[in-house]
Amino acid sequence: MSAIATPRQSSVQRGLIDAYNATRRYLIRGKRQPDIIFGSVLFPVIFVVLFGYVFGSSISVPGGNYHSYLMSGLFAQSTLFASSQVAVAVATDMNEGVIDRFKTLPIARSSILIGRSISTIVLGLPALGVMILCALAVGWRPENGIFDAILGFLLIEVFAFALSWLGILAGLIAKSSQAADVISSIPVFLLGFVSNVFVDTSKMPVWLRVFADWNPVSAVVAAGRNLFGNTIGPPPAGVWSLEHPEITTIGLALIIIVVFIPICVRRYSRTSR
Amino acid sequence: MSNFAISAQHLARSFGETHALVDVSLDIPAGSVCALLGRNGAGKTTTVRILTTLLDPDDGHAQVAGFDIASQADRVRERIGVTGQTATMDELLTGHENLEIIGRFSHLGAAVSRQRADELLQQFDLVDAGRMLVKKYSGGMRRRLDLAASLIANPEVLFLDEPTTGLDPVARSEMWVAIRNLVARGTTVLLTTQYLDEADQLADTIVVVDRGLVVAEGTPEQLKASIGRPSVVVTLVDADPAALLKVRTALGADAVIRGRSVSAPAADGLESLAKVVTLLEELGVPIHEVGLEHPSLDEVFSAVTHRIGDHSPVAPAEIPA
Ligand SMILES: Nc1ncnc2c1ncn2[C@@H]1O[C@H](COP(=O)(O)OP(=O)(O)O)[C@@H](O)[C@H]1O
Ligand SMILES: [Mg+2]
Repeated sequence: MSAIATPRQSSVQRGLIDAYNATRRYLIRGKRQPDIIFGSVLFPVIFVVLFGYVFGSSISVPGGNYHSYLMSGLFAQSTLFASSQVAVAVATDMNEGVIDRFKTLPIARSSILIGRSISTIVLGLPALGVMILCALAVGWRPENGIFDAILGFLLIEVFAFALSWLGILAGLIAKSSQAADVISSIPVFLLGFVSNVFVDTSKMPVWLRVFADWNPVSAVVAAGRNLFGNTIGPPPAGVWSLEHPEITTIGLALIIIVVFIPICVRRYSRTSR
Repeated sequence: MSNFAISAQHLARSFGETHALVDVSLDIPAGSVCALLGRNGAGKTTTVRILTTLLDPDDGHAQVAGFDIASQADRVRERIGVTGQTATMDELLTGHENLEIIGRFSHLGAAVSRQRADELLQQFDLVDAGRMLVKKYSGGMRRRLDLAASLIANPEVLFLDEPTTGLDPVARSEMWVAIRNLVARGTTVLLTTQYLDEADQLADTIVVVDRGLVVAEGTPEQLKASIGRPSVVVTLVDADPAALLKVRTALGADAVIRGRSVSAPAADGLESLAKVVTLLEELGVPIHEVGLEHPSLDEVFSAVTHRIGDHSPVAPAEIPA
């Protein structure tokens, strides 16, 4: 008895097909977990409303609307939370027998992880959409026009894609989903809150300000503000990453992608060997 | 390329201080069924994981379907089906979706994958269940789906790690039927089991492993023969003590009485049986039945593993002072 004849394809073609099939699988799974999607939509709504009104009532941004100032920060922050969720999901995956089965199939080693990261972005889109609607409802406006706004969101999504690989690595290293939660939550909270997401860094104590200014998340937020036309005042002097936030964001994302995808794939192939 | 579908030479693998595999060699001819028989922790799963490219051996080599598991892992993966000891089906997908995904990952294409999924659901009596999410499946249904999934690309070599452990008797016999059907189609099967009757029922050859070592191997019959000679068992019509005693005396010094039977070693097998029949005719005792009895695999198993188990650690080779 012979194996069913398979159509001849190049290994690159096969790799793409494998990645597509893996993405498709995660999307079907995602669809079956409406509670997770619901949660991912609810969270940003609460954030926009809560932080907007809680902080907005006591923080005044000169010549601007706090909600407009805040939105870019919340968009960027949501990518951080998503990457932490990826870490937990990957750790859960790795403890299930299904990954073992995939490893006995003749598929590209990268495909399952690529499927995981792409599906994370796609499954996050409803939440992003709802967040944009909420933002518009509370008065946020992309002042530079629709084209720049789209560019801004693209930038944030590229960053989200890159971050998802850090989440994947955390999930692969962690022994359990609880451990993955802890490993990923600490940097997420540090980077997400010690930043320019909620407030201008200039009034922070020096040690905190230095961290917040050079925090890559601040650069992403600043890039978003620039493209949405929500920037208020000049960037802090001498902080290159905030003076060139778009280049910093793209550069950082590319570096993470180039460095961490191979590390993740290697780690994935080696686990449980 | 050899005629062996699976050939392993001196596989060894440790996990820290645990020597899961010490030295395991296998040669399994194409189209046959081999049972890896051993207790919990004997090294069965480790062997299967190495042969299915999930785990690297510390030592040793192996070829599966003619390809080296280390240097040609992808070739091996194209030719094997694996049903692991733990469930590998996705709970959030339906049975049909699970099978289709495996087909797509085996590069059958979407259409063929769907078609194969339909066929297999039918073959494994899961047609209605195919549209249900796997999380609603019973244990037996999951195992059958898992087995179906490993057949989607018509593998040359199939690995089944404890395919019936934890199943109730009905599900177990359904699984046996499914496995027998595969064998009838010529697939080479390596299955692991803790159950002797399962090995005896399904396998052409049995390899007994214990503590990472092969302690016995052969056909079920050879294994029985290697462990003890058969015995002649004479069963009387009723348990008449005088008659039983008469038969025992006639059968010789080693004969023993059990209930209304007398058994004695039959060193020459059928020849011994013929002699006993002649003897009995002369005695004129009412006989219910006379037959040859082979030692059960249970006895084989406990004998070989006991021998190893009672072994104190092998004394280190003497070093001249
Ligand atoms: N990943 C692992 N890490 C540590 N020990 C392991 C691992 N896998 C197996 N072992 C140990 O190796 C031995 C053999 O295990 P295994 O091959 O699973 O046995 P079996 O399948 O025959 O029950 C056991 O003592 C088990 O605890
Ligand atoms: Mg096992």
